[in-house]
Amino acid sequence: MTVFKTFWKILNKNKLTVIIYTVILLVFGISNMKTSEKSMNFQAEKPDIAIVNYDEETELVKGFVQYLNKNCNVKEIENNEETLNDAIFYRDLNYVIYIPENYTEEFMTGKKPELEVKSTGDYQASYAKMIVTRYIQMANIYQKKISDESELVAQVNEVLKNEAKIEMTSKLDSNAMQKVTLYYNFASYSLIACLVFMIGLILNSFNQEKIKKRIIISSENCKRHNRALLLSNCCYSLIMWALYVIVSLILLKDIMLTTRGLIYIANSLVFTLCITTLSFLIGNLVNNKEALSGISNVVSLGSSFLCGAFVPVRWLPDFVIKIAHVLPTYYYINSNETLGTMEKITKETMQPIITNTIIMIAFSIIFIILSNIVVKTKRKIG
Amino acid sequence: MENVIEVRNLVKKYKEIIAVDNLSFSVREGEILGLLGPNGSGKSTTINCILSLLKFQGGNIKIFGKEMTPNSYELKSKIGVVFQDVSIFDELTVYENIDYFCGLYVKNKETRKKYIEDALKLVGLEDFQKFYPKKLSGGLLRRLNIACGIAHKPKLIFLDEPTVAVDPQSRNNILDGIKQLRDMGATVVYTTHYMEEVEILCDRVIILDKGKIIAEGTTDELKQRASIEEKVTVEVNNLDVRELPKIKDLMNVLEVSYEDNLLLVTYKDGKNNLVNMITYLKSKGIDYQKIYSERPTLNDVFLELTGKELRD
Amino acid sequence: MIDMFFHNFKYILKTLFKNKMLIFWTFAFPIILGTLFHLAFSNIANNEKLDIIDIAIVKDEEFNKNIFFKMAFKELSDKKNEERLFHTQYVDEEKAKKLLEDGEIIGYLKLEGETPKITIISNGIDETVFKYVTEQVLQMSQTGIFEIEDINIKNISNKNLDYTMIEFYTLIAMAALYGGIFSIWVMNQIMPDLSAKGKRIAISPIKKGTIVLSSFLASYIVQLIGMALLFAYTILVIQVDYGVYSKLVVLLAAVGSLAGLSIGLAIGVLMKVSENSKTGILIGITMIGCYLAGMMGISMKNIVDKGAPIVNKVNPAAMITDGFYSLYYYETLDRYWFDVISLCIFSGVLILISFRNLRRKKYDSI
Repeated sequence: MTVFKTFWKILNKNKLTVIIYTVILLVFGISNMKTSEKSMNFQAEKPDIAIVNYDEETELVKGFVQYLNKNCNVKEIENNEETLNDAIFYRDLNYVIYIPENYTEEFMTGKKPELEVKSTGDYQASYAKMIVTRYIQMANIYQKKISDESELVAQVNEVLKNEAKIEMTSKLDSNAMQKVTLYYNFASYSLIACLVFMIGLILNSFNQEKIKKRIIISSENCKRHNRALLLSNCCYSLIMWALYVIVSLILLKDIMLTTRGLIYIANSLVFTLCITTLSFLIGNLVNNKEALSGISNVVSLGSSFLCGAFVPVRWLPDFVIKIAHVLPTYYYINSNETLGTMEKITKETMQPIITNTIIMIAFSIIFIILSNIVVKTKRKIG
Repeated sequence: MENVIEVRNLVKKYKEIIAVDNLSFSVREGEILGLLGPNGSGKSTTINCILSLLKFQGGNIKIFGKEMTPNSYELKSKIGVVFQDVSIFDELTVYENIDYFCGLYVKNKETRKKYIEDALKLVGLEDFQKFYPKKLSGGLLRRLNIACGIAHKPKLIFLDEPTVAVDPQSRNNILDGIKQLRDMGATVVYTTHYMEEVEILCDRVIILDKGKIIAEGTTDELKQRASIEEKVTVEVNNLDVRELPKIKDLMNVLEVSYEDNLLLVTYKDGKNNLVNMITYLKSKGIDYQKIYSERPTLNDVFLELTGKELRD
Repeated sequence: MIDMFFHNFKYILKTLFKNKMLIFWTFAFPIILGTLFHLAFSNIANNEKLDIIDIAIVKDEEFNKNIFFKMAFKELSDKKNEERLFHTQYVDEEKAKKLLEDGEIIGYLKLEGETPKITIISNGIDETVFKYVTEQVLQMSQTGIFEIEDINIKNISNKNLDYTMIEFYTLIAMAALYGGIFSIWVMNQIMPDLSAKGKRIAISPIKKGTIVLSSFLASYIVQLIGMALLFAYTILVIQVDYGVYSKLVVLLAAVGSLAGLSIGLAIGVLMKVSENSKTGILIGITMIGCYLAGMMGISMKNIVDKGAPIVNKVNPAAMITDGFYSLYYYETLDRYWFDVISLCIFSGVLILISFRNLRRKKYDSI
């Protein structure tokens, strides 16, 4: 029982660390809820643009602006070069269109006046360019036939009404699933940071020379002592895990209670246990509080960046993904990603997730064996 | 002899609490003055005031006849201090630590090198020059702490409890070193709450309690002020407690106590106390293992003056 | 005095370099983090571009009849076309369904009389483009004119548009501000109210100003060496682009480091808490500053700049980041100088606030 008591005392003394990482996760979770709201559905793929008009408010310009309003998110941004430039750089705008003076006049006389644009050069900008090009091209075609400005605009509008029929086969609410995936991916960072640091700290204080001597000669035998230690560490891990699951329930609500949601939770449980064994290994290897805070930072940030907890896996370079294969986090995140895009839950589709789980368990066993070796060699020397 | 330090009516308050209460004393050249008192009696505060680190509310302090201020660089260069806390750089070796602090006083590198060697010899750390503090034991660290404070050969040295938590061997080494410093002409102010050290070391003692001087003089003078003259201790098993009042009635006896098979008898005066006791025990047929007589210690003096033990 | 200055300077420099934890957090940690950023972000710029989209078209009677669609998609799928958008497979409907399910294509097109029907599995930019282009072809066919004329569009955006650079700029900002750990640590050594070492120094015959100045300078030197290493690493290994004004980059790094040391100085001298808590406070301030400057999400800086400009005007991490950004992105230097001067004022104010405590020689309690 003394093991448990000491354990909670140390935990209580360092609760600030736990609080900080939990707050980080919360902030991420909440801001993620807000930002991903729009970018995930069909309509919101509209590019963000701004229009700077130096021409008169002619029928053509009006028609063009109206068309752009329909097909893009036209943002009202102060017409100030620096503001526009900043907006382009930070992807607040994808495209800025400058309509030059006398554009309409020149256009109607059959010249091809030049449009100036600013572009981020990404796919949203390419899309915006397509949208702009289509209108001008269409107007070009009709300009040859129709000399009246209003009539031309009307004709162009008419022809642009033709749309394709869209059929979407997927029933999956990919938007909601995306959020769950992002949350659980990010939680891997907070979990690793909290577990490695805290468990390391706790093992350290138990391993300290004096205490070690006292424990070796104490009546409580060594194995039982270690078991109690491992048990209390698992207890702590499970509390952290439960905390993050509860946070996800609050943020993501009932979606977490579907079969799919429960698989996310189960996956995170396996991961938590795997990281507990990793923390156990690190805690036995490192005997210094300051070094421990460095290592927990490097391990948590490193695995999060390399395995795609921060940046989506599909954006990572191939060689990074290859490196990530040696880290348990990769398999955890891989399962999350699979769950997020999986159409149906069947025996076949679950196969990769089951494989990932087995790999994580294998990692855990290796970590336990390694830490046993470390403990044994240390005891001989000490 | 000239007075090296002159403290007049020093008053220091920490908000409501009076730490030093109208204190006046002087330190003579070439002596080792012991400042003795329990924890919180104002020893360290007094030293910090003398060093002009602390603001004080009243009184004045002169060192070598001059007013001491934070800008008295001339005076400061003659002073060396060993603080209670070990104050050294963990990142520097033993040698470098001494060199750093000595270098704040001594510019010339050659001189400094010699001074450092002297200091190392004095505290017995010659073999540890290249060691980092983390590798040193508590006693060796204390010695290094002292070396850092005195390497520049100051004329006036303050030592604030330099032997707290030090093993006996290191302690003797340290005390010998301090005597050497005095013999080389330095004046030493030594604070402690260890009686034994003061008795071995100090020429003169000031006993402080609650910021006031409660006694001052040489150790012998102080002891004479105590009413106890001699203590006799007898190791005797299973003494009948009814004997105690009878012993108390013997000649010159002040008090009698019996605890843990030890019979303790204090005498106010007189000679042949020990012989009388042996005779008495024989006459009563009481077997004893050991019997010995002691002179009173400063601890007894302190006990009498304040009614409490020096050590907590 | 000059001897003493260098004596102290030499030893403070030595202790700083020997302190493993200080060196780890200020030297190694930013480099490790930079490497991670590089690994994670190096591919984003490529991912931003529109890829060739895999689609299928149901090749039936209807499609064969429709010359417009046939020609248009042939053109758009042509490998020689610079503006190529699609990789198109012409298959029957069964096969198209299968391809879609297997994730080989993002959707397929089937002509049903006048209206084309597109079947997709989920939403995304590729699907949107597919739909959009199909509609364009449809609309063109309505006009009956097949000839498409190019239109005049001139791109006048600034050249350097890689916004992942911001990550590395915030990293530099973080390293610069972490330098405050040095001044916290140094102050802890030399101030008499903070440590016994400080008391020992205070009773020595050296002017306090000499000690403070030489120690501060020593920590500045160590900090600059750390920054130099970080710059060398980011330039040579990670290949971060700092624009063309290398001298101005050095100046900004130097001023930014000064700001970091000033924060450390103020925390170290003014706050009456343990050294560990002081370091914690510094790291906290730095991380919040870097968060607002865009380290954990690049758009954050723009959001703050627009929504609450004052916040990033007093946030040193944002000043440093913005300085590098303006060197990289803008051709004029107004904004850069504004950032540099802001950082100088920021440091000056903090040093001034700390000054009273730095000068103090006698204390109420120690």
